[in-house]
Amino acid sequence: MSAAIPLPSDLSPVTVANTASLLRIIALALISGAAIASRLFAVINFESIIHEFDPWFNYRATRVLTSKGFYEFWNWFDRTAWYPLGRVVGGTVYPGLMATSGVIYNFLHALNLPVDIRNICVMLAPRLQCPDGLGDLHVRVFFNHTSCLHNFGFRFTKEMKDESAGLLAAAFIGIVPGYISRSVAGSYDNEAIAIFLLMFTFFCWIKALKLGSALFGTLAAVFYFYMVAAWGGYVFITNMIPLHGLVLILMGRFSSRLYVAYSSWYAIGTLASMQVPFVGFQPVSTSEHMAALGVFGLLQIVAFTQLVRSHVSSKQFQDLLFWALISVGLLGFLAVVGLTYIGVIAPWTGRFYSLWDTGYAKIHIPIIASVSEHQPTAWPSFFGDLQFLIFLFPAGVVHCFQQLRDEHVFVIIYAVMASYFAGVMVRLMLALTPVAPVRNGARVRGIFSLDTRLTIVGTAFFMLAFFVHHCTWATAGAYSSPSVVLAAANPDGSLHIIDDFREAYHWLRQNTPETAVVMSWWDYGYQIAGMADRPTLVDNNTWNNTHIATVGKAMSSSEEVAYPILRKHDVDYVLVIFGGYLGFSGDDINKFLWMVRIAQGVWPEEIQEPNYFTPQGEYRVDERASTTMQNSLMYKMSYYRFAELFGGKPATDKVSIAFFILLLANMRAVSLDEAYTTENWIVRIYQVKKEDVLGRDLKSANAFSQGRKRKRSRPMSRRPPVV
Amino acid sequence: MARLSGLFTGSVIFCAICSAFGATFENTAIVRTVELGGSLVQVTTTFAVKALEANSKIYTVALSDAELQTTSWLEARVKGQSKVLEVVDRDPKSTGVHLLDITLPQPLALNASVNIVLEAIQTHATYPWPETASQQEPQALKYKTDLLVLSPYHTAVQRTKIRSPSPSIHSYTTPENVDDFTLDAPVTKSGATVTYGPYNNVAPSVNEKFISKHQQPVFLHYDYEYPVVQVPKLVRSAEISHWGANLNIQDNIHLRNAGPALKGHFSRLEHQTQTFYKRSAPHVIPGLTLHLPAGIRNTYYYDLNGNVSTSRLRAAPSVPKDSQANQYSVLELKPRYPIMGGWNYSFTLGWDSPLEDSASVDKSTGKYIVQVPVWTPIPAAVVNEAEVMIILPEGATDVEFATPFPAISSSMSTHTTYLDTTGRPAITLHFKDLTERHAQPIFVSYSVPMSAHLKKPIAVAVAFFSVFAFALIARRIDLRIHKN
Repeated sequence: MSAAIPLPSDLSPVTVANTASLLRIIALALISGAAIASRLFAVINFESIIHEFDPWFNYRATRVLTSKGFYEFWNWFDRTAWYPLGRVVGGTVYPGLMATSGVIYNFLHALNLPVDIRNICVMLAPRLQCPDGLGDLHVRVFFNHTSCLHNFGFRFTKEMKDESAGLLAAAFIGIVPGYISRSVAGSYDNEAIAIFLLMFTFFCWIKALKLGSALFGTLAAVFYFYMVAAWGGYVFITNMIPLHGLVLILMGRFSSRLYVAYSSWYAIGTLASMQVPFVGFQPVSTSEHMAALGVFGLLQIVAFTQLVRSHVSSKQFQDLLFWALISVGLLGFLAVVGLTYIGVIAPWTGRFYSLWDTGYAKIHIPIIASVSEHQPTAWPSFFGDLQFLIFLFPAGVVHCFQQLRDEHVFVIIYAVMASYFAGVMVRLMLALTPVAPVRNGARVRGIFSLDTRLTIVGTAFFMLAFFVHHCTWATAGAYSSPSVVLAAANPDGSLHIIDDFREAYHWLRQNTPETAVVMSWWDYGYQIAGMADRPTLVDNNTWNNTHIATVGKAMSSSEEVAYPILRKHDVDYVLVIFGGYLGFSGDDINKFLWMVRIAQGVWPEEIQEPNYFTPQGEYRVDERASTTMQNSLMYKMSYYRFAELFGGKPATDKVSIAFFILLLANMRAVSLDEAYTTENWIVRIYQVKKEDVLGRDLKSANAFSQGRKRKRSRPMSRRPPVV
Repeated sequence: MARLSGLFTGSVIFCAICSAFGATFENTAIVRTVELGGSLVQVTTTFAVKALEANSKIYTVALSDAELQTTSWLEARVKGQSKVLEVVDRDPKSTGVHLLDITLPQPLALNASVNIVLEAIQTHATYPWPETASQQEPQALKYKTDLLVLSPYHTAVQRTKIRSPSPSIHSYTTPENVDDFTLDAPVTKSGATVTYGPYNNVAPSVNEKFISKHQQPVFLHYDYEYPVVQVPKLVRSAEISHWGANLNIQDNIHLRNAGPALKGHFSRLEHQTQTFYKRSAPHVIPGLTLHLPAGIRNTYYYDLNGNVSTSRLRAAPSVPKDSQANQYSVLELKPRYPIMGGWNYSFTLGWDSPLEDSASVDKSTGKYIVQVPVWTPIPAAVVNEAEVMIILPEGATDVEFATPFPAISSSMSTHTTYLDTTGRPAITLHFKDLTERHAQPIFVSYSVPMSAHLKKPIAVAVAFFSVFAFALIARRIDLRIHKN
């Protein structure tokens, strides 16, 4: 192949190398700049704030880490979460992210740069993009660098071109929206750091495999350890590398390089990963990790066979031996299955099953299915996240088959696996995003190296420009909203910020006792802990299904049932999200059916989902709503005094466009007091009444304190007084 | 027994004082005017004084212990003059009655007379009554004071006028046992004013006998239509930067509604209805309007949970130093939630202002003089505790400072921040019970040698140089054991 523009022949090779190196550094710096800049939309449009839900916990944990030190963090028992159970945070958390922030924080403070920990956390994700681009470039450069070793004659021009492919890949990965979604400023989540580590581990693995280097195998293990410490998705690496090894063996490509690389990575990586308390002995006791162990064993057997083969002469015997050993490997696999069956090795978890059967979670584990990012991915989001990379992607994979060396096999496997996972779970789109640009870097680079026809260059340029435009648009519009604040436009076009969540959390923080227990649906647990600093019953670390179901039951039962539950859990305040006033659709009434389903999973006799629908099978909130629905605590708390806003006219819920007429007028909660409602009614907080000091039931106590006489004509309440 | 003997000694001292000073002056008239408010109560006492001895220069006023406790601002003047007279507490540690000496501008001749105006601002002198109020209920406060103005001299006539901001006064005390001074009604009310007196021929009153016989507390219970704003804690840090030509001021303000505590719970519906009909409850703080200095930039307003988006700033252009600022940057600050009675809200407010607006150089000594206000007043609010930290540029020496009124304590420390090597000297001052009148500048003077100015660029240059040097060496090190 010839270069599009030939190099001048009168330049010394050193000059060319230096110029290329300088250009590369400049291009990389610009790519890093663009990658960071596009992640700052959130800060510029809104402010430097931690986004969404999980990041609030990470932020809170990081603050504990920086203020109290690493050992305190390690032993941190959080009494305020999962009240009254508490949570052993040190042992149930991937500490990689917090440790990284802590190191950066301490480093900066040692240099007399007192950067606020919040800003470190907000900016951590964008900051990591810089080395990420670099790491990716190295992977890419390495692929291409090694691919052209045979072509000595055009070595320099070739390397230039391959590096340009690497640069393109770096540029793609820097701005592709699929990845930006988890790495905008403020998205302080495990994924932000983990994708960088994933790429770097794979890079080290390929390099170790190419060179047969134990050093790079060890480096891969070290970064694997970092990855294990940072994100539960490390299992992807744990299975990708063995799969690659297995495929190579089955293709008859076993080599001492593979043996050295894999053995050093597996031995050190597994031992290192077991140092993370949350992982513990899982690498030797759970099914997800057995493939790596199996391939490790297989490699030993194959290597041993190779050794024997090099010393023994009879060829047929050795072939027989080879196949025998393969079957021994299979037997080992069966043994693992057997052990799993007996129970020595833990079977796969529910989240893992839902990767293979998308309907599994909905039937068995509603709590997993209730998370939107665990839903199967819709087609438009593929295009939205990857744009033209998604249709160039197959071309890139085909390109790999043209040469098909070991690393190409890896990329092909990665591409297939990642596409599948991205298809079944929105959240795993993330795993796909690095590989698509890497493949397309090669593809687009291929276009450029064709004899340059203006149309092709023009088309390619148009596609790239449109890609950039699309990425900027998607990043600014879809992925940069903190979701803690909502944005609307004023009549004059300026940004109007709807800040009800922080209003409510701040109110809780400043005007309630520090020990007041707040009950809300689990989505808001981390935010309440982070912003309001109050104990919560359940939060986003959904480890205890029964506890969540208890909250679901309290929310979906009538007051008579719910009140004892609330009192038994020492609940002082109940917080609900209500979008009917403003038209905010992500409110608790919308999530209500999940609460019902999760509660039904534990108490099938008491809570039944069909009761919350009308006889026609509709989910309604107006006066035709079912009686169970109308009596539920959630319904009452959402619509308490809502009708009075409309001064006699029919009340309108702006989310469901439901009209109420008289139903709400007489609705009064007996056991709860409205304590606070935010400006746009989005967050409503109720205080749970204590038992009456005179031992009356709350209904008559209320009536007495309001000066109303209890009606004698009616029979007295049959409800026993609550103790 | 011990208490009795203490009282006895006290009276002996009082009598001694009376005999020593009793004859120097005579009060021809004392008029005390009390302007009631929420957090602040303004008390203006005018003494019409006649000298009974030639060359009398020191006039003494008496304040009870309780009065002195609540008085956070005290200023004496000769009526019609702007010069402030020196006031000295004769014995700050004494209990009971404090005697304050006012030095007159010039000695009075025999029978000459002068009008002395004593202006005081009292804080924490009122309290909500009833102590709780629901969202629809009005707000009422109670004020307590002493009936008579004490004086070591004989007083011909004295009266006390208490003015309420609204004419609805629920109740006031009718004094008893005042037949010695007046035969008319001891108290009269007209409109929003309650007048005690005139009381004639009051003997020198700084003695135990007189106080126990005639002095008595009077209460006034009145409606107050504005919120009672209190700042339990204010932490201000002012950072002077020569490199940035910038004075950064940051206030951590803990705000509290000291009105009647909210009875029951907050109902958004009620609040929205009241706001819609423009008749908000008097005890709600919906927001504050602050007058920040002119010429400020980068104003920020945030709390523990980040930026508070509900504020408006109308910045005024910068004015030269020492010229009369007739414009302010107006900040309409709205908390995240309306602050009901008894609720708290803490936030951080800060801004940058050009250093030349508040700094100057003393030509003769080469020292810099910077003025930093003690606080930026929140209208009608009292600051219970204030901590002011002034951070000087790195390497500043010969630090001196002058406060407009005495601070409770002051200390020096070192503050280390961006690009610092040795840290910056910082002055920390503590104050209590600040009012709008206390918003005066603290003057700080210091000198900065040229070498200190250069510390930052040198530190940055060294840091970059070390990174490059490290890269230079690291590139040339080869750790491979066997080369291939």
